Amino acid sequence: MDYFAGVSDALRLTFVQVMIMANLSIGIFIIGMYINLKKWGMGSTGYGQEPSGSIFAFPRMLAQQMSEHAHVHNQSVLETFVLDILFQRRILRRSPLRWFMHFTIFFGWMALFVLSLAMFAVEMVHLISAQLGVHALPEFLSPEIFRELLAVPNDIFSYILLTGIIIAIYRRLFVAKVRESTIAYDSILLIGLTVITISGFVADGIRTGRFWGFGIEDPNLAPPMALFHVVISLLFCIAYIPFSKYIHMIAIPLALLANKGGE
Amino acid sequence: MAKREPSVNTQNLTAVQIMELDSCSRCGECVNWCPTYDASAQDPGLAPRDKILRWREFMNKSYGLRARLFGPKEIPEEDIEKFKDDVYKCTTCGMCATVCESAINTVELWESMRANLVKRGNGPYGKQGMFIKLIAEYKNPYMANNADRVNWFPKDIKVEDKAEVLYFGGCTAELKQRKLALATARVLNKLGIKFTMLGEDEICCGSALIRTGQYFINDTAKVNAQKNIDNIKAKGAKTVLYACAGCYRASLIDWPRLTGKKLPFKVVHITQFLQDLIEKGEIQWEKSIDKKVTYHDPCHLGRHVGVFEPPRAVLKSIPGIEFIEMERIEENQRCCGAGGGVKAGVPDLAMGVAKTRVEDALETEADLLSSACPFCKRNLSDGRDALGAKQLEVEDVVVLVAEAMGIDLSDAPKE
Repeated sequence: MDYFAGVSDALRLTFVQVMIMANLSIGIFIIGMYINLKKWGMGSTGYGQEPSGSIFAFPRMLAQQMSEHAHVHNQSVLETFVLDILFQRRILRRSPLRWFMHFTIFFGWMALFVLSLAMFAVEMVHLISAQLGVHALPEFLSPEIFRELLAVPNDIFSYILLTGIIIAIYRRLFVAKVRESTIAYDSILLIGLTVITISGFVADGIRTGRFWGFGIEDPNLAPPMALFHVVISLLFCIAYIPFSKYIHMIAIPLALLANKGGE
Repeated sequence: MAKREPSVNTQNLTAVQIMELDSCSRCGECVNWCPTYDASAQDPGLAPRDKILRWREFMNKSYGLRARLFGPKEIPEEDIEKFKDDVYKCTTCGMCATVCESAINTVELWESMRANLVKRGNGPYGKQGMFIKLIAEYKNPYMANNADRVNWFPKDIKVEDKAEVLYFGGCTAELKQRKLALATARVLNKLGIKFTMLGEDEICCGSALIRTGQYFINDTAKVNAQKNIDNIKAKGAKTVLYACAGCYRASLIDWPRLTGKKLPFKVVHITQFLQDLIEKGEIQWEKSIDKKVTYHDPCHLGRHVGVFEPPRAVLKSIPGIEFIEMERIEENQRCCGAGGGVKAGVPDLAMGVAKTRVEDALETEADLLSSACPFCKRNLSDGRDALGAKQLEVEDVVVLVAEAMGIDLSDAPKE
């Protein structure tokens, strides 16, 4: 089986497509963030001051707030980063269940993202070394072996992510207070996340013949499904970030840093 | 064809505040705790989450992707007017900031939105519009002769011309709830602390203007803050005492921000000062106050600046007091309803919040509901009267201290 994430002679076109999509997504993300920075920069760099309009207004104001003395919670950047951004203790304080939901999504997602980056890096190293005629790479850097190494952690983190998503969907559908306050802004994020996760499971299920393949036994369908998974992941989780509720992944850590972990 | 001008602008909002609009995850925690949302029979427009959503939409329609490509989208004037009404129906208590999972500094955000709307010609709300005129003309918002701030003090009160300690009385205690000013002065006298006051040179601290988004008009709040600072310096004060939570917060946080300079004196709330003296054994109690007492944290003293323990330490040290806590205290305290200009602008809403807080106190079966802010005392007293809960006394911590020190306050002017 010479299918990893689309990098094979037979699927070279797929790899090129993925690279194009990745670059396009990153390009859209950069343009979106530029527009957001311009929007944020319409504010001032100090309380009561005139609007700046400069793209540097936001980083300037952020740096200024981070260096100011706070009267209540004057905690360090490190504490904010570890406890509030990574561990998300502000959510834990308010609702352990919501924290568990969000933390499993965050942790599962980030882990899968890192594993995907690692797989991509190995494939690129493999491709480049083949081009350069280098064959002295360690055995585990072979894409086939590396993919097998990642199989178990991929499974674990995928199920962690899925657990969080199921709780999130349950809340949105069956907790009256949450359901009534849900707007399209919230739904799009969860729908996107669900489609990405399920498509990942299905692509893997078709390839390995496990439950998630839903009985689809034609291995030729695995690459297109994987391609769909990759494309939709890139579009939703990179390109769409600046234009949707996904922006909270960037804005909340910034707000936590600006307000020293909050009141 | 020229592009349409945005319906709203970003005046008075900082770059971080505009970013904070994007950081709301709409978890709804703020909605669960907001006192005015509760008191308004859960008017969805008052939910902090909803206000952030609407202002974010205003910003995106004016400066987002679509606005960049095709020009800003017009926002109907009635939407902006409705938003103004809702953003002013907030006591700026800061509960939403405390529970915000994204750590949005909502108090500052509401105040900036208000200032923006005042500049735009929509704000302030109702009677709040009189603040600027009254403070400019009378130096206080009560239309009182400023010379009457302390000239009513009985002759036994000794106020030095100059001293290292200055008592900044505040408009409410000096002009309305004079028992508090009298109690503070007599406590300091009895403790042998030489103190001075600004008297008719004292000007409103600016809290009312800042909280309602009017601070920038004619630079009134800044000019007055600087005058107060200069007058305090001229009195030789190194420590300034406050028995009003609003003045304390304004001096500690807003004056340095308005003037752009560090204060040349120490800002101390009277309960912090008293706690220190109690710990040093310098206060002799002469009377026992045999009552069950609970304590309401003023937002401006508690959540805004983190002074939670000193008032409790003072109350617990008074002989006879059986101290009992309400369910919601300290960071999670429920607002009295008076702040943020709501008492002046939307009195019914202020009353609704006050009644809920008084009910919190009644649940403890306390005889006395104490606080450390004259504005809280006023609104909690109104809430108590509206509930007909005559059995519950409402009093300031300093007045209780004075009574326990054997100080007679029977000559205090009626409120």
